[in-house]
Amino acid sequence: MDAFLQAFLNGLVLGLIYVAIAVGLTIVFGTLRLVNFAHGAFFSVGAYVGLVVANKYGLIAGFIIAPIAVAILAVILDRIVLRPFYNKEPTSQLLLTFGIALVIQESLRWFFGGTAQQYTLPPELMSPFTLGPLVYPAYRLAFAAGVVVLLAVVWLFLARTDYGLIVRAGIRDRIMVQLLGGNITRASTIVFALGAGIAGLVGAAASPIYSVEPTTGFDFLVPSFVVVVVGGLGSFWGAVAGGLLVGILKSLMTLYYPPAADVIIYVLMAVVLIVRPQGLFGESEVIRQ
Amino acid sequence: MSRGTLRVLLFTALGLAVFPLAIHPIGGYPGLATHICIMAIGAVALNLLLGEAGMLSYGQALFFGCGAYVSAILVQRAMPQHPNLLLAVLGGIVIAAAVAALIGALVVRLYGIYLALLTLAFGQMGFFIVEQAKDWTNGDDGLQGIPAALLYLGPAGIDLQTPLPAVDLGPFGNLSDVHLWYVFAAFILWLVIWFVRTLNGSQFGEVLAAIRENEDRSRMIGFVPHLYRFAAFVIAGALTGLAGGLLALYDLKAVVDDMDINRSGSFVIYTVVGGVHTLLGPAVGTAVIMYLEDVGSGFLAKYPQLPGWQWFEGLIFVLVIVFLPAGIVGTLKRKRKPDFEKLLAVKR
Amino acid sequence: MSALLETRNLGKSFGHFAANAAIDFSVAAGELRAVIGPNGAGKTTFFNLLSGVTNPTSGSIVFDGRDVTSAGGPQRVRIGIAKAFQTASIYNDQTVRQNCRLAALAHVQGGFAFQVFRRSQHLRNIDELAENAMELVDLGAVAETRAGDLSHGDKKRLDIAIALATEPKLLLLDEPVAGMSKDEAHKTEGLVKRLATKMTVLIIEHDMELIMGISDSITVLHGGRVLASGTPAEIRANAAVQEAYLGGHTEAELHE
Repeated sequence: MDAFLQAFLNGLVLGLIYVAIAVGLTIVFGTLRLVNFAHGAFFSVGAYVGLVVANKYGLIAGFIIAPIAVAILAVILDRIVLRPFYNKEPTSQLLLTFGIALVIQESLRWFFGGTAQQYTLPPELMSPFTLGPLVYPAYRLAFAAGVVVLLAVVWLFLARTDYGLIVRAGIRDRIMVQLLGGNITRASTIVFALGAGIAGLVGAAASPIYSVEPTTGFDFLVPSFVVVVVGGLGSFWGAVAGGLLVGILKSLMTLYYPPAADVIIYVLMAVVLIVRPQGLFGESEVIRQ
Repeated sequence: MSRGTLRVLLFTALGLAVFPLAIHPIGGYPGLATHICIMAIGAVALNLLLGEAGMLSYGQALFFGCGAYVSAILVQRAMPQHPNLLLAVLGGIVIAAAVAALIGALVVRLYGIYLALLTLAFGQMGFFIVEQAKDWTNGDDGLQGIPAALLYLGPAGIDLQTPLPAVDLGPFGNLSDVHLWYVFAAFILWLVIWFVRTLNGSQFGEVLAAIRENEDRSRMIGFVPHLYRFAAFVIAGALTGLAGGLLALYDLKAVVDDMDINRSGSFVIYTVVGGVHTLLGPAVGTAVIMYLEDVGSGFLAKYPQLPGWQWFEGLIFVLVIVFLPAGIVGTLKRKRKPDFEKLLAVKR
Repeated sequence: MSALLETRNLGKSFGHFAANAAIDFSVAAGELRAVIGPNGAGKTTFFNLLSGVTNPTSGSIVFDGRDVTSAGGPQRVRIGIAKAFQTASIYNDQTVRQNCRLAALAHVQGGFAFQVFRRSQHLRNIDELAENAMELVDLGAVAETRAGDLSHGDKKRLDIAIALATEPKLLLLDEPVAGMSKDEAHKTEGLVKRLATKMTVLIIEHDMELIMGISDSITVLHGGRVLASGTPAEIRANAAVQEAYLGGHTEAELHE
């Protein structure tokens, strides 16, 4: 198959991961006003838990256990450490969650060692899926489809349920939601666990595609922040557009000029921050003079 | 000079004088002390941004690397026969300041997460450029074994690797363990602390504090905050470049790790642990963390079942933010637990 | 009589919502002009446009013969337009004197000064400016008190003092007596009258007695536009104003 098409599809798969992480980031910010630098750790923990469970009990078990484990971790963090920092100025949140991310990352290193691990797929899933000119690993296609379904469920949650309404309203005006009687604290914990769970699930599902190391979460997190910046903080569709853009860009760059694959997204982020800091879809909140 | 300033400077000088020997009984050594002094300069610079100007920069490694590479390249290429330490370091400072001015112009109108991310982005771009510009920087291998630069205060150059006279100090080792490099690095750190103290009490510092306390009001009496932030950013960049230059000339190498994101993170950790918004906090934090890292890594290597040093570093950082937000020095100075947010004193 | 401040077709829209529209406004030097209107009429937006907190989406502002439409907040202050906020915006952790000194410092040094070695004490006239400002608002007695510990009324007067320390030609007062007790309001009324003799003053207020008593002229805003402009007597008699704002009350009812 054409190298470009291959890279493009790889970019879509990668981009979907970024979208999933970015959506979690953005809805957590919306409800808790928390900038969570530890969000990538949820991805890592999900990946490792998924790996361990899958190796013993198969992939599906991994997909079920991993997000639950991550959601529990999120609730623990919420109760014990993070509560006092909601609604605080982002700098202190950044610093705290940066520290938490470091601790989780090193805890993973301690438990699982520093070498990269990957889940070995059973032969049926490893084989390529052929459709005309398209020859692409079956699992990756299934993964992509799965993430799209997951995102659709999240979108439905945001657009159609009461909690979702609170989340969306909270993104716009948190105080008003509280005044109107929306139980934003309970919604917040649920949403935080949900965002974490999404990252954990995607992490577990991605472990057959990308090797897992302690730093994997951070490696996926920083581009996801770029996605949030490019798409606009607080915007679901911004995260989608931004994620796909960043994923495809990175993948194509890996094909044509590998050393620049990482830095190209930093350049993109810098350009967006300088020219249009609120991102493509973001509210024109006053983030600069 | 006020009495308070005189007291602080004398206290600092005293502390720096005994430091390399005081840590001897607990596993420290003068080489570590020298490294600490150099890195502390970078931490002081970060505190100027974070504690005084309210800007969290996650990209200071860019300026650190600038200083390191420029100094190393100057010594290696421009003056291999008579490597002049002061000139080389000066070159590093100038380039670092220039880069800071370029980036500062783009960055100072942003706040919070956006500022942190943009500085991080530029830091990573710098890392990439250094890796790619192999003709100048030797890429991933870095510039190794550069000639040792001499300190020219007169016609004769002083070799800073010269040890102090031998005096046996019992449990504190021998005075000759300490080299002139430590004396020089400690002196530079002391000067930097004096400079920052002066700056904080100056007209410039007064306005910076006002902007930090109430930016809206400061604008509505006529101050222009982003110009002040720009100046702080350039000064911090220059100081961080100074630290980078010193490290390169001391270690006789400039490596890509100098521009690593971990380096940027380290300055932040040192400053927060030591005490944001205090004068001596950054230096104290650097000393504590770097000492623990040195001693701790050695200790932990013997017990592979325990987590690595990085885990403890992260844990200390988190515990400090949650329980000791004023840092070590800040907590010693205050009576009540302050609001971390107020310490950082950034807008909104 | 030449206008000190003049706006032409001034407007500010947020998306489809026009907070201010087509405002032609002028005030002469030395006037004490009140800007009144029901809540939501756009008074604070108007002051924000004049002081540079926000930029207009249409129209122009001319001050002292210069077009200042695109000048930012700090620049407006340096040109001579100073503002006291609706909710006092002060430096809570500093003393009253230090608050005034900061404003005086800004006035003397300009928007930016790279004085990293000298202390601001080397600028002699700052202390004088601060002293004068404190005296004008009668806060001399609490000069060394921490600003955050002041009473509500004193905080508002400190806010005015800060504005005064920049030696403005035009002073914008946004609801200076809001939330004050009768005594404090009376004191502040006297202050405003004193200030009006030294500079041009624009004041937003809801206290009709105060307004009618001290103003040279009144502009009424309604729905983001100018409804009427004139002397207090003219405004009192204006039927449109009565209906829109005063709710059709008679003059007699007003004075109760």
